[in-house]
Amino acid sequence: MWGPHRNSSVLRPKAHAMERRELQGQGEDTLLDRISRKDAGAFEILYDRYGGPVYSLAARMLRDPHAAEEVAQDVFLSIWRGAGAFDPARGSARAWILSLAHHKSVDAVRRLRIRTAEPLADSMMADADVAGDAARSVEDAQVRKALAGLSDGQREAIVFAYYGGYTQQEIAVRLGVPLGTVKTRMRDGMLRLRSALAPHVGETNR
Amino acid sequence: MTHIELRGLIPAYALDALSPEEAREVEAHLPTCDECRRELILMREVASELAVAVQKVDPPVALRTKILQAIDPRDWTVTIPETPAVPRAPKPPRVPARPRVPWLGIPRTWAVGLAAAAAVLILVLAGLAVSLNQRLEALNQRLATQERVLALLANPGTRTAVLGGAVQANVRFVYHQGTQQGALIVTDLQDPGQEMVYQLWLIAGQVPESVGVFRPVAGQPIVIPVRADFSRYQAVAISVERGPSGAARPTSAPILLASL
Repeated sequence: MWGPHRNSSVLRPKAHAMERRELQGQGEDTLLDRISRKDAGAFEILYDRYGGPVYSLAARMLRDPHAAEEVAQDVFLSIWRGAGAFDPARGSARAWILSLAHHKSVDAVRRLRIRTAEPLADSMMADADVAGDAARSVEDAQVRKALAGLSDGQREAIVFAYYGGYTQQEIAVRLGVPLGTVKTRMRDGMLRLRSALAPHVGETNR
Repeated sequence: MTHIELRGLIPAYALDALSPEEAREVEAHLPTCDECRRELILMREVASELAVAVQKVDPPVALRTKILQAIDPRDWTVTIPETPAVPRAPKPPRVPARPRVPWLGIPRTWAVGLAAAAAVLILVLAGLAVSLNQRLEALNQRLATQERVLALLANPGTRTAVLGGAVQANVRFVYHQGTQQGALIVTDLQDPGQEMVYQLWLIAGQVPESVGVFRPVAGQPIVIPVRADFSRYQAVAISVERGPSGAARPTSAPILLASL
């Protein structure tokens, strides 16, 4: 679904076609290494693999296609400039890219909230059942099942935090529960998600 | 916070749900703790599953074009419209009449003229009374340059050549053969004198090729990005030339030199 676009030689003349084919088969580690040495072809391939997931996450969190575009652009330009900071010893390239995308989406969500000066409680209300909403928009069956396996409180904490961009403190205020409770739920929920997704996690955590 | 407490924050850290203060504490702890780093790796994998589980939306095709254009390698070189930095107290250059620096066997006249050029531009920044927009743009460009140079410095394959010669200076040339990227970093260099500029040359065999000109700014490091096939050159040199645009070929002996 995130396959390369046909019209993909904005930067690369035809002479690089061979090299490009060769790059297509490379893992993200290699691509990031090439990108850190300013290889535009490697960057293009990385975009074709991650443009969709990065944009989709931003769109889900920001609920605004235009803002999502800005975030996606910011993410990829950061990758272009900062690919050298990726260290395979500190996790997979996939996790590195997606956590960058999440981080920037959270920043954007929080900035938007400040700009529109929404009172916290209201904005959370506007999120109207974020947890249920998120559960519905989670397409991946395995993740959906894993989320369903959590207690309501755990799911709520994780979904508000990850897809809503709220801090633990904000969630505690919203739910009217002690901060310590939110922390416990979030931690326990993540540990359960890890076990539920373990085979998958193991496979991507090369 | 104790290690146990910090470890308990890792899942929330991976979800970007900590307060800024807590996040900073975790970040300070991570480099010192293998266990927490491993925990973070696992938690980030879990978070990644949440990331890719959302409904898939195709990004606009225009976004792809926009992003790829933004990283066009041609952007590597930075141009800034002339910034005639006016020296406050120009001192005459202390260039010796007879160079003591070995000039790699290149005739004093510096052989042939400059080849059609080093793909290189110069970044000179000075406190100018320019409009806010220009300043902002200049600042952005400077930041972009610094980022590139940082990436260059962080690259393990990057080599450093310290320029030495007739004058007291702290000037280094860093370069990476593979990426063909380099930069001249000037942290201490006296004023070249009124109406004079420093000119940077890359020397290929007998032929010095002009990279560009610059003037030092008091108390401010200058970074000049250079893009070239460094395997072609044996040395990098700086001479004092007449400003504002320097000379097509060196008119005086180099005051600073390093072999590559």
